[in-house]
Amino acid sequence: MAHLARTLTRRVTPSLTLLRHTPTLGTTVSLTRKPQTQAQQTLTPRRTYHSTLHPRLPDHEYTNSQTVILTAALNHVPTHGFTAESLALGARDAGFLDVSVQLLPRAEFDLILFYLASRRGILRAKVEEGGLFRRIATEKGKDVFELSVEERVRGLLLERLRMNHEIKHSWQDALAQMSLLSNIPLSLGELHALASDILTLAGDESVDASWYTRRLAVSAIYASAEVVMTRDPTADLAETEEFVDRRFEDRKAIADKLIGIGQYAGFGWNTAVGLGRSWGLKI
Amino acid sequence: MSMSNSAWRALHYSAKRRAFQTTPYRCFSCATRVQNKPDNNRMTHFGFTNVPESEKETRVGAVFSSVAASYDRMNDLMSLGIHRLWKDHFVRSLNPGSCLPALTADKPGWNILDIAGGTGDIAFRMLDHATHINHDMETRVTISDINADMLAEGRKRSLDTPYYNSKRLDFVEANAEHMPHIPDASVDLYTVVFGIRNFTDKQAALNEAFRVLKPGGVFACMEFSKVENPVLDTIYKNWNFSAIPLIGQVVAGDRDSYQYLVESIERFPSQEEFRGMIQKAGFMIPGQGFENLTGGIAAIHKGIKPINKA
Repeated sequence: MAHLARTLTRRVTPSLTLLRHTPTLGTTVSLTRKPQTQAQQTLTPRRTYHSTLHPRLPDHEYTNSQTVILTAALNHVPTHGFTAESLALGARDAGFLDVSVQLLPRAEFDLILFYLASRRGILRAKVEEGGLFRRIATEKGKDVFELSVEERVRGLLLERLRMNHEIKHSWQDALAQMSLLSNIPLSLGELHALASDILTLAGDESVDASWYTRRLAVSAIYASAEVVMTRDPTADLAETEEFVDRRFEDRKAIADKLIGIGQYAGFGWNTAVGLGRSWGLKI
Repeated sequence: MSMSNSAWRALHYSAKRRAFQTTPYRCFSCATRVQNKPDNNRMTHFGFTNVPESEKETRVGAVFSSVAASYDRMNDLMSLGIHRLWKDHFVRSLNPGSCLPALTADKPGWNILDIAGGTGDIAFRMLDHATHINHDMETRVTISDINADMLAEGRKRSLDTPYYNSKRLDFVEANAEHMPHIPDASVDLYTVVFGIRNFTDKQAALNEAFRVLKPGGVFACMEFSKVENPVLDTIYKNWNFSAIPLIGQVVAGDRDSYQYLVESIERFPSQEEFRGMIQKAGFMIPGQGFENLTGGIAAIHKGIKPINKA
C-alpha cells in the first residue's frame, strides 16, 4: 500500500484528533437528537465509524451489574476458560448468586464479547496515556513523531495480541464460540471495531476506498494472527510477531503489485488512445 | 379408559360445583379474612367478561380444577406438542443447579419456587436438569399452586419420579399474590410458567416475587404473548378461537374452560407492557428483557433482583 508510505509523520498525537470537536456542529447535533429511553438505547445499532463530531461511544453496552459480574468472571478465565464455571465464580465473587448469570442473555458469548471490548478499551487507554507509542518508538530507536502509520498499526496489533497471552490456551474455544452461526455478526462487528480503533489510534485519516481496504487488511491480519497465537509455544509470542511481520510484507507486496498493474493498465490504455488518435479515430 | 373417564367425571363435576361455592370457612382464619376482604366494587377481567375481583379467583379455580386431569393431553393437542419444546428450552436456558460441584460445600444447591406449577411439568424438568446436567443433588423445588386439584395431579405424577417423598420436592397450596409462609430473600429462582395470566392482580404477584427472592435472584416467566408477524397472527388467532374450544369440547367435554383459556391469552399484556410491569416491581432487565418463542406465541421474561450495596 503505497499510500501508507506516503503518509507523513504526524505532529498531532492521535488522542488529540479524537477529542477535536467543532462546538457549533456538536450543539446542533445534540439538539436534533431525540431523547431515548434506556431500553431503546440498547436496541439502537452502534455507529460503525469514528467521528470527530460526536463523543466516543463506550466500548460496550453492558449495565453496571453486568460489568461487575463479567469483570470478576474474567479473573477466572485463565484457569476455567470462557465457560459457565467462570461466569458462576465471577457472579459469586461479585456478591451475586449462581443464578444471577441470567443477567447475561448470551452467557459465555457475553463473556467473550466483554473480553474483546474491554481489551479494546485498554488498548485505547494505553495509547491515550501516551506510553505505548513512546515505547514502540524507543524499541525502534526513533522519536515518537517519526513513527509511520504502518509502524503504529503493527505496534498496536502486536500489543493487542500480547494481551491475549494469559488466555492463549482457551482462545480456541472462544474462537469456536464466535464462529457459531448466531454469533458471527457480533464477532465480525467486534473485529471491525478493533481494526477501526487500531487505524484511528494510529492516525489513519483516509476518506476514500482505502478506508475499507485498510480495515479489511488489518482485520484479516489480526484474525489470522490470533489463530497462530493459540498454537504459539514461545513465551513472548515471538512466532506470532514473525507471522505478523510476514503478513505486513505480504500486504505491501500485494498493494505494490496492484498499483503496478494499475499503472500498467493506465499506460496501456493511454498508448491505445494515442495510437487510435494518430490513426484518425475521433476519441 | 372407562375407569379413568369416570374418575375424571367425578373431578369434573366436583369442580363445577365448586364454582358456585363461596370460600369455605376455615378455623382461625376469619379475622384475616375479614381484614383482607377485597373491595367488591373493583372489577377485573375473566376472559372477555368483567367480573368482580373477589370472584375471579374462584372462577379460575373452577377452570383449572376442571382441566387438571386432561391437562397434558390437552396441551399436546392445543399446541401440537410445541409446549414441550418451549418448556425444555425454558429450563435449559435457566440452567438450574449449581455447576460447581467442588465448591458447593458452603452453598448447598438452589432454592427454586415454582409458582402455578401444580402438575410439576417445570419442576420435574428443573430437578432432572440439576441432577443430570449439573450433578447437583441439593437443588430443591417448591411447587406452589392455588388449586388443590392441580397439586393433586402433580403429586400423582411425582410418584413416577425419583424426587417423590424426598426433601428436594415440596408441594404448597398458596396464593402467589400473598405468601406469608415464605420468608423474605429466601429464593434463588422464581418461575411461573403459563400461570401469571390467570392471576387477579399481576403486579401484586410480581411485588411478592421481588420480596421472596434473594438479592441477585431471578424471576423467570413463560407466558403466551403477542405474535408479531401478521400472517402468523391470523392463523394463530383462528386456531385459538375456533380449534381450541372445539378440541376442549371433544376431548375434555368442557368448552367453557377452554374458551376462557384463549380469551385470557388474548387479554394478557404484550411483551413490552409486561416487561414494564417487571421493571416496576424493581427488577433489573437483562438485555431486551424477553425472548419470543415461535414468533411470539409465547415469550420468556426474566428479571433479576438487584443487590443492595451497603
